[in-house]
Amino acid sequence: MEIITYLLNGFAIAFQWHNILFALIGVIIGTAVGVLPGIGPMSGVALLIPVTATMTSGMPTEAAAASSIILLAGVYYGAMYGGSTTSILINTPGESSSVVTTLDGYQMAKQGRAGAALSIAAIGSFVAGIISLIGLILLAKPLSNIALQFGPAEYFSLMLLGLCAVSGLAGKSMTKALIMTVVGLMLGTIGIDTVSGIARFTYDQPVLYGGLEFLTIAVGLFALGEVFKTILEKSDSTQPIAKIKRILPTKQDLKDSAIPITRGSLMGFFIGVLPGAGASIASFFSYITEKKFSKNPDSFGKGNIAGVAGPESANNAASGGAMIPLLTLGIPGSGTTAILMGAFIMYNVQPGPLLFDDHPDIAWGLIASMFIGNLFLLILNMPLVKVFAKVVQTPPKYLLPIIIAISFFGVYAVQYNTFDLYLLLACGFLGYLFSKHDYPVAPLVLALVLGPMMENNMRRALTISNGDWKIFITQPLSLIFIVIAVAWILVPIILKLIGRKVIVTDEG
Amino acid sequence: MSKTFDKFTGVIFLLISILFIFESLKISGSAYGSAVGPKTFPLILGVVLGLLSLRLLYETFKLKSEKEEKETFNYKRFGIIFVSAVAYVFLLEIIGYVLSTFIFLVIAFQVMEKGKLLYTLIIAAFFTFGVYAMYVQVLGGSLPRFSLF
Repeated sequence: MEIITYLLNGFAIAFQWHNILFALIGVIIGTAVGVLPGIGPMSGVALLIPVTATMTSGMPTEAAAASSIILLAGVYYGAMYGGSTTSILINTPGESSSVVTTLDGYQMAKQGRAGAALSIAAIGSFVAGIISLIGLILLAKPLSNIALQFGPAEYFSLMLLGLCAVSGLAGKSMTKALIMTVVGLMLGTIGIDTVSGIARFTYDQPVLYGGLEFLTIAVGLFALGEVFKTILEKSDSTQPIAKIKRILPTKQDLKDSAIPITRGSLMGFFIGVLPGAGASIASFFSYITEKKFSKNPDSFGKGNIAGVAGPESANNAASGGAMIPLLTLGIPGSGTTAILMGAFIMYNVQPGPLLFDDHPDIAWGLIASMFIGNLFLLILNMPLVKVFAKVVQTPPKYLLPIIIAISFFGVYAVQYNTFDLYLLLACGFLGYLFSKHDYPVAPLVLALVLGPMMENNMRRALTISNGDWKIFITQPLSLIFIVIAVAWILVPIILKLIGRKVIVTDEG
Repeated sequence: MSKTFDKFTGVIFLLISILFIFESLKISGSAYGSAVGPKTFPLILGVVLGLLSLRLLYETFKLKSEKEEKETFNYKRFGIIFVSAVAYVFLLEIIGYVLSTFIFLVIAFQVMEKGKLLYTLIIAAFFTFGVYAMYVQVLGGSLPRFSLF
């Protein structure tokens, strides 16, 4: 019962008053991020990294890292709750994983059942959050024990697999996704090489010696990219908002959604664990499944509560599942977890199998705080749903310039030079151009984080084998990872050739 | 999506990959006799990017041009905000955080929607002083101050 002791210690960390506060702030901001169209979980987390770094600056490193990660993770899963609000009330998904919620959620709102839809979404998200946490607790230790056996060759192949999986599923064109991945890896090579101390691609510019700051690129590509897009393309029109009458769902509603919630949670969790798949795919699959299992599939799209309960549970469970590869293997499987990983690294904490031994306070504190955070979200979202519906109406004319100002402040506070601010603006513009033309930016950020680790493991493996490249295919585990990685790229191509439709995600 | 953009980026990425290969060959080899030095990984990346951009160019030429939708862009609004953001960065360390942020926000709010000057001034001042007070006074961080006096 080692796990229970660890978990109790985790709760001791999570129940420290400042960590409760951090979890609360995290989930409130997360819900707001989910509600506001234009800022997704990725930009939300990226924007808050510098803010949390400042808030925790007085604490000892270990405690500061735990508190920041608690807040940032709160933003991540909080956004999954918030995303449903706009889907249901104004038929506009707040983030990409709530797209399918619009189908039945908005219909329910039209029939005057907005309150029931919102509360079922919150209840489903809560159940899913708890189920995925239990999964996380049960899988964390065994998985990290397996990962401890990995040598550099296995690690290299596993990261390759992660990158291939994300590129294989991101965006419409795999070529473009792969290009973005390679560009991310290239950007990661800029700076002084950690092994040999040789400066690469720096052209004697001192500002480049440390490499490009991951935070600047992520905030620029995601947050500023989205802001620029809205400034350029959106005309300011306000949509009518559905009225919320009764908040609590009826007994019949609860009965109808119990099974979809359970099914959605389990499915979402396992999809979330897979690299590359993520909350959007999970919610999409859940919707299809519910429609298939339903007694009257025709009622879907006309306000069937199962069409809200299933997908909303699935996207939340997926965000919990996505934490598993990050915490146990040290390899993020999506854009948002890549950014969380960047936060870990900023505090000199290496996520991965050793996390649970080296920094049990951070790992278990985070897991325990997710229980508390999910409880907060349930409490917040039921009575306060009307308040968050007001957030939807924040005029973009004030919101957009303030997001620009916050990202400038955030980057400057961490980097303290104007070069990063120019880089930030350039990345914002590129981020807009890239996503406009279907070049997914999530693989770039993921590759930028993984790049240096990948190169080091590759060189370590090759040093062990005296430069023999066969080491990557003679080690059995490494071979398995490489085969899966290649399959991930080839299978969609083959499916396309024989004329099957391939599901892609635009969330990353 | 526009084909012209894809052609353009295909060529750009191809050029970048050639430059990358060329530049990584210049990096000195292994420092301590191990088979792979600091140049191997960038070299591989350069080659892969080159192949991928050729593939992208091939795809753009092969695929039929899709019907391009006419969209209306707010070039003026974006242009003004972008230029003032650049000016903001340029002035940040000269006239200090408070003044530059305030000016940037006032301009950006007014560009987004003209009028309601009072609200604009109040919100801009509230944000600017709020951040400065929180960060510098409460948390003890430092931001560039107005340095002409």
